[in-house]
Amino acid sequence: MTPAADIPLREPAVSAAAGDAEQLERARIDASTRVPVLMFYASAMVWLLIGTLLAGFVSFKLHSPDWLSDVSFLTWGRLRPVHMNVMIYGWASMAAMGTAIWLMARLCRTTLRHPLLIVTGIWFWNIGVLIGVIGILMGYSTGYQWLEFPPYAAVVLFVAYALIISWAVLMFRFRRGDQIYITQWYLLGAFLWFPWLYAAAQAMLFVVPVQGVMQAAVGWWYANNLLFLWLGAVALGTAYYMIPKVIGRPVYSYHLATIGFWTYALFSSWTGMQRLVDGPFPAWMITASIAATILTIIPVATVGLNHHMTMQGYFPVMRYSPTLRFTVFGAMSYTVFSVVGILISLRSTARYLHFTEASIAYSHLGLYAFFTMIMFGSMYYIVPRLVGREWRYATLIKLHFWASAYGIGLMSLMLLVGGFVQGVSQNDPSLPFIESTGSVLPYLRGRTLAALLLTISHFIFAFHFGLMLFGLGRTSTVPTFLNPVEAEGSEGHL
Amino acid sequence: MKGLVPLFLGVFGTFAFSWVGLTVIPNLQIGALNPQMDEEGTDIYPAPKSGMADRGRRIYAANGCIYCHSQQVRPDYASADIDRKWGERRSAPRDYIFDRPVLLGKERMGPDLANIGKRAPVEEEKTPAAANAPAASPAAPAPAGSAKPAASGSPPPAGSPPAPAANPSPSASPNPNGVPPIYSEAWHHRHLYSPRSVNPDNRDSTMPAYRFLYEKHPISGERSADALQLTGPDAPPPGWEIVPSYDAKCLVAYLMSLDQSHPLKEVKTAGGAAPPAGPPAAPPAGSPAASPAPAQPKK
Repeated sequence: MTPAADIPLREPAVSAAAGDAEQLERARIDASTRVPVLMFYASAMVWLLIGTLLAGFVSFKLHSPDWLSDVSFLTWGRLRPVHMNVMIYGWASMAAMGTAIWLMARLCRTTLRHPLLIVTGIWFWNIGVLIGVIGILMGYSTGYQWLEFPPYAAVVLFVAYALIISWAVLMFRFRRGDQIYITQWYLLGAFLWFPWLYAAAQAMLFVVPVQGVMQAAVGWWYANNLLFLWLGAVALGTAYYMIPKVIGRPVYSYHLATIGFWTYALFSSWTGMQRLVDGPFPAWMITASIAATILTIIPVATVGLNHHMTMQGYFPVMRYSPTLRFTVFGAMSYTVFSVVGILISLRSTARYLHFTEASIAYSHLGLYAFFTMIMFGSMYYIVPRLVGREWRYATLIKLHFWASAYGIGLMSLMLLVGGFVQGVSQNDPSLPFIESTGSVLPYLRGRTLAALLLTISHFIFAFHFGLMLFGLGRTSTVPTFLNPVEAEGSEGHL
Repeated sequence: MKGLVPLFLGVFGTFAFSWVGLTVIPNLQIGALNPQMDEEGTDIYPAPKSGMADRGRRIYAANGCIYCHSQQVRPDYASADIDRKWGERRSAPRDYIFDRPVLLGKERMGPDLANIGKRAPVEEEKTPAAANAPAASPAAPAPAGSAKPAASGSPPPAGSPPAPAANPSPSASPNPNGVPPIYSEAWHHRHLYSPRSVNPDNRDSTMPAYRFLYEKHPISGERSADALQLTGPDAPPPGWEIVPSYDAKCLVAYLMSLDQSHPLKEVKTAGGAAPPAGPPAAPPAGSPAASPAPAQPKK
């Protein structure tokens, strides 16, 4: 086994002096993605901070409803959809597109062409999100979950998306080498799934609206697929790149990866209707989605096993590499997220958890513990390669990680337990309904504490990212390790 | 994996499968329902909402009521919804055919509203009814024993008429049964204006006030007929009054229009089948929910 000192982050910051042709090529590819990817990340960070502050407001107002309630655009029922949409379209989608474009260029081993068109697309996307946010605040929310943006904002987003992703997909034409790596499957899938999903939902809700309850079915189909096939696919693809890259070891099994990918595409796309359990729908729709949710255990098990076997023996590297620590946390959360999803979708548990805060816990496990943590990991890897500097403070990275990890852990715990307590009282008709609201209040206060932790974590990260952006990172040939490697280098951790 | 074509076809195929399976096929099954009517073509249900109520639905969606209030009654074998008197039968796709956007809801920080426009009072939601009952509304007689006004504190003996409303407004006139509907328009306005004041039991309510939907005017001449009856800290200073804006009136009109009490052929109504015409018989209070309704509403 190699001594620990040699393991983490094989790839030092690129130096032309090395004369290594491959390194030069990578540097060229990275340089071609610099402007658009950094713009994606910078926009995403701004939206993340806005969304985080909104999350704090929303969480606090839920248990203290009289705070700032007398102004129409600060009412809870408008801030909540703004928070959700800012996080999904502002933060998550932009971070996902930034990472995905960088990965695509790297994996196709080709430079990114027409970065300026992508930059135009980024501006349009930001404008689209801003229009949507203003629309909701002004009282033009559509009332469909995760699609609250007024339809005209969706048009802008769509144009922006076409400008951005067509070039990412076109990189495929110029790719070198026959092999299509696992990450590219997920990314290509995500690139094609999202526009179809978004267009289909918009068309079925606003252009040729479907009747009655079908709108709710389309809405949940959209929301779940957005989570799985757009954000989740990018996150899984990123994890398949980052984990082997950081530890310098190939993925354990290609076959497992193939099974994992196709079962993921097949089963997770059929989920969604379980969120309407016992509602006014034909029972087969809901049962089909519950069955699909249960079957997602197959991709979870294969992907989880694959990552685990790849990491086998290399777990101590998490002590040093920020990227690996965040990515592995996210990959493990994928398992937790899916298992929780299965548990709360079963009819027997849905009786106690449907219509409660538990569904919020589920969304946040997916969007934060799984997706966002992997995106943080990828940003810790990619940003130094774009700005030519290393992260300045290992302490800030550690603080970011622990505040995020404890924050999301506390939040999920509070909402799951609170949701169960709430559901048990809702289900007891001898108790007044108001008891169920009262019983969840302490947990909602706990959730506000978690929101505070997450706010701290995001501001730390934004500060650190800002230093990098303004060229204030460390100039060094070794990446920033979370803990000093030298001190323990001789011991041999593996 | 080699080759773009199989990958592309697979990505395309899996998603097409889901799209067709979860949206297109169900849309064929329940996406083109007609209102139900009896043999003579009368007694049509459901009907499209009036202009004000339709606008009220937009207000409801715009202000995020949907994040805390559902509008669906689940069957009795799966939930306590019917025991809670949120409805006499489960909701069915046909109930929503004119709803756009449809506001089924996803969470219940507050109670279900599927039948709020015609809901018999439940014990825990006893309320000093600000009886501004529209005399025309043929409210179903509330089951005796469950309609206890909060003011009295103890349940009236069964059969006795409920105590008169605590706070009658000038226009109040008792309806033929002498039972004011608990969730009257005036009640809704007061509740929207000051959610925790309408009822001492409501202290834990996390509903925000929607005061931006109301206007504060100096009283010139006579007090407005629709001014809110407010007491305590919520009351405006003397010489002023709080009146609902047009949006608030629309929202309340929408809430008052929410009513799924009409029986549907495809769904079993708890407490026995109601006659097809006229208001359905209210089940006796506290009666156990009847036999399970069919799980799958028919087309």
